[in-house]
Amino acid sequence: MEFQAIHDRLKAQGAPGLLGFDEPRPANKKEKDPGRAGMPFVTVDHAHLVEFLRMCRDDDKLAFDILVDLTASDPSADSEELWILIQLLSLKHKHRLAIKAPLPKAAATVASATAIYRAAQWHERECAEMYGITFVGNPDPRHILLPDDWEGYPLRKDYEFPREYHGISCE
Amino acid sequence: MTDTVGKSEVEQTPQDYKPSIRPEEQRTLPSGEKEFFFDVTTSDLEVNMGPQHPATHGVMRVLIRCDGELVTGAQAHLGYLHRCAEKIGENVEWLQYLPYTDRYDYLASMNNNLGYSLAVEALMPELEIPRRATLLRTICAELNRIASHLVAIGTYGLDIGAFTPFLYAFREREWIQALFEKICGARLTYSYIRIGGVFNDAPPGWLQEVGHFCDVFEEKWKEYHDLLAVNHVFVMRTANVGVIPKEMAIDFGLTGPMLRGSGVDFDLRRDMPYMAYGEAHEAGAFDVPLGEGKKGALGDCWDRFYVRMLEMKECIKLVRWCLEVIEDGPIIGDVPKVLKVPAGEAYVGIENPRGELGHYVHSDGGKVAVRCRVRGPSFVNLAVVEELMPGALLADSVAIIGSTDIVIGETDR
Repeated sequence: MEFQAIHDRLKAQGAPGLLGFDEPRPANKKEKDPGRAGMPFVTVDHAHLVEFLRMCRDDDKLAFDILVDLTASDPSADSEELWILIQLLSLKHKHRLAIKAPLPKAAATVASATAIYRAAQWHERECAEMYGITFVGNPDPRHILLPDDWEGYPLRKDYEFPREYHGISCE
Repeated sequence: MTDTVGKSEVEQTPQDYKPSIRPEEQRTLPSGEKEFFFDVTTSDLEVNMGPQHPATHGVMRVLIRCDGELVTGAQAHLGYLHRCAEKIGENVEWLQYLPYTDRYDYLASMNNNLGYSLAVEALMPELEIPRRATLLRTICAELNRIASHLVAIGTYGLDIGAFTPFLYAFREREWIQALFEKICGARLTYSYIRIGGVFNDAPPGWLQEVGHFCDVFEEKWKEYHDLLAVNHVFVMRTANVGVIPKEMAIDFGLTGPMLRGSGVDFDLRRDMPYMAYGEAHEAGAFDVPLGEGKKGALGDCWDRFYVRMLEMKECIKLVRWCLEVIEDGPIIGDVPKVLKVPAGEAYVGIENPRGELGHYVHSDGGKVAVRCRVRGPSFVNLAVVEELMPGALLADSVAIIGSTDIVIGETDR
């Protein structure tokens, strides 16, 4: 299915937490729209993310059986929110879906998707240590790439590089 | 944070220790002697496999808990090779990031260059990629896939005790590296595939030599098959070991040979074609080999190994097709020296030798990315090891890790 058909299907099925979608479009000078390149995605309310994913997986017409990627992004240091970015893939119908779930920086907590896709577990661990997002219900919430005692969330835009680490100067 | 494996960890203290045979239960043997027993404590042993272990193919530690020869739990500890690739991606210019892509899966650098270039090109709809560049990209990506699978197969044999195939595999890989050296000057970290095309045209005679390599390699392929794939000892060590059923493979999000080894018929090159792969498949240039459970259960280590073997043959067919249709022409599109990428977001996944390599790139219209996410197949494929280990024999743990064909540069990025 094409992106528009996927979105319509989600809407017709009353997908929980579906907020809208964004498609690439050319620049429009009259309306002062700078345009956007790239690929389309749907936006989802983070509070309903898990139910949304369950529907994506279980619906026959969608059948997104593989969670390809789960990550986050910090669009800018001034931004009040982080984005959770999920890429789904359907082996049966050979289509993809990109999901964006905005999340307030002040309360970066979201339910874990591990119960739906086991693949989410390691991605969530990485996401948690890099962005400081808490995934409630992740069975193994240890650090994965960083040392256990690492302070701060390195991929946030306001991250300050450490001056020293265990007495070793980093300057 | 403690280094314990498994979920039902119970500390054994001297107070709760009870010997398995108590003195009052001591039996008298038929010979009239009292049964003899030692007052020994038995408990599971935790063994660190790594960080420096030849079978982890890099710096990774697997904490294994075992009860005698039986593995009861495993936990992978990564991060020893973490080089902040994603953070660097947000701090250097688009073109400057290309050499960093070489370094995550260093056995398949051409494919990494390709994945990143395609992702950035997805943000630049006006940029046209010349046909010759597309075909040169395909040739290099497929040759690199062969080189990568040769290492996978060679070191897999090495892991479980077959030294010879490793040396043979490196002989052919050496030739591929020499071919790459001729076209781009580097042997391991190529940065050959650029945003917009490739940076250097094939030197005179290069395409003919690639054709010659294809002829020779097909003969050599039979040697590997006889040396390793049907070798009785090798089959005994890999068949019925580390079985990944279809459902588990899908649940863990496995891709590439790991997924196809479990009999799931999916290959991005055929099913969601990019570059010239769609055209090549229509022309019958390649098939997608699947695990069939020939030597044991479907989805065992041997199946995954054999999928890689068969894939090398398909790569040869693809390279031959490219050599047939390639024509002279420009090799790179119109890309400015200081590249400003239009604002937008894109995710592009391609079929790397180890599975789906995905790049999510987000541009605000400037010279530097806002976000450059790398979805490495090794990282995802490694997660399944923790699930496969419990119940396996300690000696098989090496066979299981080897069959996932991870590259630590990519798991840790």
